[in-house]
Amino acid sequence: MVGLPYDCLSNPLGAVRLTFEKAVASGSDPASFEGKDWGAADLFHDFLFDNGGLSQVPMLNPSALKWVQPNTLVRFRGMIQDMLGNEFYVGAHKDGDIWRTNKFTDTSQFPMAPSSDMRIWERRLLYCIPVPGQNSWAEFSPEAVKNPYTNSLSPQREKRRREDDATMSDVDMQDSCHELQASLSAKKMREDEMDFQPLNSQKTATEETSSNASLVLDAETKSFSCLVKIYDSPESNLKLNDVFEFVGIFTFDPDLTADKDDSDELTHGFGEDALLHLPSSKVPRLHCLVHRKLAINDFLSVCPTLELKSNAVKELREALVGHLTAVLGNDRVTAQYMLLHLLSRVHARADTIAVGKLSLNLTCFNKESASVFGNRLKLAIENLLPFTHYLPLTVDYLNTVSLSPKKDYNTNRLVSGVLQLAEGSHLTIDETELQAGTLNSTGVENASVLKSLMEFQKVEYDFTYYKMEMNADVQLLILSEGKSNLLPADLILPFQPSSVDSPSEVDADMLKTWRWYLATMRSLPHSIEPDMQKVVEDDLVAARQADRSLGSQDLSRWLTMGRLISASFGETCLTMEHWQMVKELERLGRERLHGNM
Amino acid sequence: MASDSSPANIHGGPLSPDSLASSPIGNTFSSPGDSRRQKRGRRSSYATPPPPSDSRFATPDATPTPSSTNPRRGRGRGRRSSTTPTAAATPSSTDDAPPSSDAGDGDDIDEAPPMYVWGTNISVQDVNAAILRFLRHFRENPQQIEGKYMQAINHVIEIEGESLDVDAQDVYDYDSDLYTKMVRYPLEVLAIFDIVLMDMVSRINPLFEKHIQARIFNLRSSTSMRNLNPSDIEKMVSLKGMIIRCSSIIPEIREAVFRCLVCGYYSDPIVVDRGRINEPTICGKQECLARNSMTLVHNRCRFADKQIVRLQETPNEMPEGGTPHTVSLLMHDKLVDAGKPGDRVEVTGIYRAMTVRIGQTQRTVKSIFKTYIDCLHLKKTDKSRMDVEEQMETEDRANRNDNDFSVDYEDKVEHLKEMSKQPDIYTRLTRSLAPNIWELDDVKKGLLCQLFGGNALKLPSGASFRGDINILLVGDPGTSKSQLLQYIHKLSPRGLYTSGRGSSAVGLTAYVAKDPETGETVLESGALVLSDRGICCIDEFDKMSDNARSMLHEVMEQQTVSIAKAGIIASLNARTSVLACANPIGSRYNPRLSVIDNIHLPPTLLSRFDLIYLILDKADEQTDRRLAKHVVALHFENPENSDHNVIDLPMLTAYVSYARKHIHPKLSDEAAEELTRGYVEMRRRGNFPGSSKKVITATPRQIESLIRLSEALARIRFSEWVEKPDVLEAFRLLEVAMQQSATDHSTGTIDMDLITTGVSASERMRRDNMVSTTRSIIMEKMQLGGPSTRLLELLEELKKQSAGAEVHLSDLRNAIATLASEGFVAIHGDSVKRI
Repeated sequence: MVGLPYDCLSNPLGAVRLTFEKAVASGSDPASFEGKDWGAADLFHDFLFDNGGLSQVPMLNPSALKWVQPNTLVRFRGMIQDMLGNEFYVGAHKDGDIWRTNKFTDTSQFPMAPSSDMRIWERRLLYCIPVPGQNSWAEFSPEAVKNPYTNSLSPQREKRRREDDATMSDVDMQDSCHELQASLSAKKMREDEMDFQPLNSQKTATEETSSNASLVLDAETKSFSCLVKIYDSPESNLKLNDVFEFVGIFTFDPDLTADKDDSDELTHGFGEDALLHLPSSKVPRLHCLVHRKLAINDFLSVCPTLELKSNAVKELREALVGHLTAVLGNDRVTAQYMLLHLLSRVHARADTIAVGKLSLNLTCFNKESASVFGNRLKLAIENLLPFTHYLPLTVDYLNTVSLSPKKDYNTNRLVSGVLQLAEGSHLTIDETELQAGTLNSTGVENASVLKSLMEFQKVEYDFTYYKMEMNADVQLLILSEGKSNLLPADLILPFQPSSVDSPSEVDADMLKTWRWYLATMRSLPHSIEPDMQKVVEDDLVAARQADRSLGSQDLSRWLTMGRLISASFGETCLTMEHWQMVKELERLGRERLHGNM
Repeated sequence: MASDSSPANIHGGPLSPDSLASSPIGNTFSSPGDSRRQKRGRRSSYATPPPPSDSRFATPDATPTPSSTNPRRGRGRGRRSSTTPTAAATPSSTDDAPPSSDAGDGDDIDEAPPMYVWGTNISVQDVNAAILRFLRHFRENPQQIEGKYMQAINHVIEIEGESLDVDAQDVYDYDSDLYTKMVRYPLEVLAIFDIVLMDMVSRINPLFEKHIQARIFNLRSSTSMRNLNPSDIEKMVSLKGMIIRCSSIIPEIREAVFRCLVCGYYSDPIVVDRGRINEPTICGKQECLARNSMTLVHNRCRFADKQIVRLQETPNEMPEGGTPHTVSLLMHDKLVDAGKPGDRVEVTGIYRAMTVRIGQTQRTVKSIFKTYIDCLHLKKTDKSRMDVEEQMETEDRANRNDNDFSVDYEDKVEHLKEMSKQPDIYTRLTRSLAPNIWELDDVKKGLLCQLFGGNALKLPSGASFRGDINILLVGDPGTSKSQLLQYIHKLSPRGLYTSGRGSSAVGLTAYVAKDPETGETVLESGALVLSDRGICCIDEFDKMSDNARSMLHEVMEQQTVSIAKAGIIASLNARTSVLACANPIGSRYNPRLSVIDNIHLPPTLLSRFDLIYLILDKADEQTDRRLAKHVVALHFENPENSDHNVIDLPMLTAYVSYARKHIHPKLSDEAAEELTRGYVEMRRRGNFPGSSKKVITATPRQIESLIRLSEALARIRFSEWVEKPDVLEAFRLLEVAMQQSATDHSTGTIDMDLITTGVSASERMRRDNMVSTTRSIIMEKMQLGGPSTRLLELLEELKKQSAGAEVHLSDLRNAIATLASEGFVAIHGDSVKRI
């Protein structure tokens, strides 16, 4: 391993500065950078991914906030909840004759003379929250959070913090010079640090007396959020409701609040400015160096290195169906459907149709069975999928809750609604509690929002003067007494439990493999051979000839089921066998539906 | 580092920064010569400096730093203090930037010959002269005696206005170089502009005291809010957006007067200097000289209005998966309250950045800038929804006003026109309409006609004929009716989508509500009124309450909604096309019953639909196979690839709106003849030779529909004349629709009676027969006053008699009911008794 002349982990700004100086020294003119990267991103990319630095980067969460030092490297996993637009900042300025950069910081490290030459660059502000409905197992496991800062480093930092800002920059400058000169000895330094690490990892976070203990956030995860500042990334890469992991420089600077009490006319006038409602003493900032989109797989703590060998997958599938059957009171048909439902996702959109969704409506619940099986199902799903939600639908709830996100122009923020969900979330709607009653205008609106989510996988965001539809990908499960008219699901299945025995306990390892199974199978690609396509077409035609009531939605559902059954066996191509299974399953479902009526 | 355009280089230049700083304005004094000088002298002898409210961009806070934000000019002259009231010389100081405030010491640079805008090679004299030339000589057409802007200036003087609207297009046409300079260096050029204006005004009317400012609008290109980037700072930009929030009006102090608490001495007005008023610490009166005794006298100070407005991106500019961007606008004086939240506006202004101020005690420098737009001009585009149609409308307006064209728009129109010339445009448009819904070509053609619409006609006598085409789709469930509806709703320029089940009569038309705050009754528009000039899509028409449906009668023929309640009597326009879809009663269409029986709609309402399509699910293997293929393709192929050679949605919308806006076809003689001929033939078809039965195959309503349809078809071709082929196609469309809905299933002929009364001629005959047979059976079997007979028994008997023909209990019931009304029998539940 080639030693790096600086510590990317604890002094990322130093590294940024160094690459900047290098770039300037090699003849590039900062004036022409226009905010573009000069090599810092590559450096961190190398450090994090090629040299395995990522695992050393502490995960930012409410507890980590107590001990993570400002201006160090942290990572944060979250969903983009709101975009706060662009921010212009002094990207580079001249300090005497030397160019300095302010990229990845909020405050200038060097004094900026008002007359000095400067370049204005821009960065994007994203407001990120932990993924809504994230289950505790999907959270970054605490044992994996290491505190990589050596004890020896802390006092020094602390001391530095107390020092004057002017001197602080001096020290920093010296640091950087020192680092530059001492690139040879750096390797040794680093090794030293490495030696310290095991020592350090024994320390708990509480032992670390944090200098900014006064700024401790609400311990509640709910209110935990992070303002991520993105550099050099095309707009199309980051979309609302996407789940990302951001690695960047953490700033959590109480000094910045000071500008609030400055009664400045303009800032006063711009009172609706979003940032004022997110004081940096409450919301930490993250200057993002590297970001990557996360799939569900990334939330699994262990990924079993299971091959997609059909036998192993088959066994897994069988075990999972068995588990679901047990949860569903020995109703195997429902369990089969449930498995398909849990594997569904929107994989394409054609016009208004979201292809691939499979919302499931389990009917024939009554008060008693709902309380038993509803809860059991809820728990089981929570254990299997990373992001789950449960909506007990009542008239009161519909009349009061705000389901769709709404733009609040007073704060210039998007106020999140229940339905602002990350891709791949699971939503259970319990309709068994719903009684006859009157919906007010909010209720009617909420019902139509839910309906549009069911039908088109779209959520309308309310921007007061107009509505905007956002695509969603949410698995929807509805529990109801009769067929839900409010929420037309793709699949309606009367639920017929035959026993109320509680399922046996599942061991944690099994759960982990199932999680892996669901996440992996779900993301499999799928195709169809031409001759199989012919068979399918013929079958569809025959079915329609036999039963005129079949519509394109039913046929579409069959194909979705075909895809999902294939996927559940870990296969990427529809086979005859699986297609027969679809038909059989469909037959069972219909039988039950008709028998029930 | 030599390449840096650092200010140092310029500092080292031949001109000292000081002289440069003041150059733009100072120079303008030198050029007009003595008269100016005199004027200035006169002005400064006015003890009062000019009302500082003139400064449009009174953003003094911005001064200290933004001056250094722009390296191009690097006006790092914040240190210079010129609080001398010489600012009087530049009453129209365009901005806070030092050039204006410093301009006072213009004297020392009067002699410096060529003046340049700092850091550029733009000569101030040149700009000055160019503006003067432009204002004096620009004419919209050569015939005009006086220049457009000379007229405008005179007008402004007459009405004692404060601003002169200058169309940037005119500037570009006259002097594109000046335009470029103005957009790139708006602060400087506008300063010169205002001074030139001042000068001209004072020449025309020396007593005119107000300061006229140039308000530039209609830039050649407008920027998207998303694309504003640091290089736009201090440039003139034009943005479209929606106002989402207005601050309250902020009185901004421009001139302060202080009074000594000790002796009552009033100080001279103190002008705002970079956002600050320097409070005198010592009383100015020689005899007093009390320390810290001065207090602000509010009612002698001068204030100017200021407002901060937030502008948000319009939804159509947003990329997928993004949230709208916003930008702050700073409005001054007249622009205050020019727009209200919800207004769609086009704003021209200067993009500015200012540092976030930090406390005095703060030593760290914060490196973040806040950006805003100093608003120069605000134009409301449209209050309501801005769609492609309206967008084009505004563009079009600009087009006509200026006798000039915007390149983009013209290109687009050219493209549309080219498209319209294609011979297969009709089929292509049909194919592009809901490409994911296969088949139903004739229905789509009908919907296309609805989108384009016919010509509304208003006769001088007051009678008016609607141009909107109403369509009803009736069909089996699962035949993608709702999808078609959704699609049309998305496509139509304006319109609402409602579901019959959830719509009440008032919700559709208009209702009177009490304002909760004031208690006044207000009229709230319903769906139909809101979709005026659009398409109102009503799903599940059959499930609508009768009351709600009856409201539609007026809308669909008279195109108005009349309200008479709670003291409000009003008639609102609802020039809406109605696209409704209904499920047959009993969910599946019963071919043996008439349309009326199938959908249970009152015939009066049904006849108001121009086209009624039956979308039946036929047990046809061909269609099934196509459906299967379609569904399979949907799942396994890339959906984007599946539809080829179709016009995409935005293009389609543009095409439709352009046609609706600009094409108003008239009937050619040939077409009119064809219409008459065709209509007569249609009517004649009802008269079967040698048959006593008279079937009505067409009504006057049909001919109106035909005219509308043929007009729409001409519109599709962008043709100003309705030609014979259009009429023929209209007949075909009508017949297709009629055949499906108005065909009498028992005879196979078109029968308008089916639509108008709900009972076909043959059905009427069958019923008559039934009554007479029943009568004879009863006569035979039952005695007067004898025991009653059960209906079922009668039915058996009836079946025996009329062998072959099917007899239903309901038919019998009808017949018995008729007989009962004649007093021939009496009915008690299920038994019949002869009386």
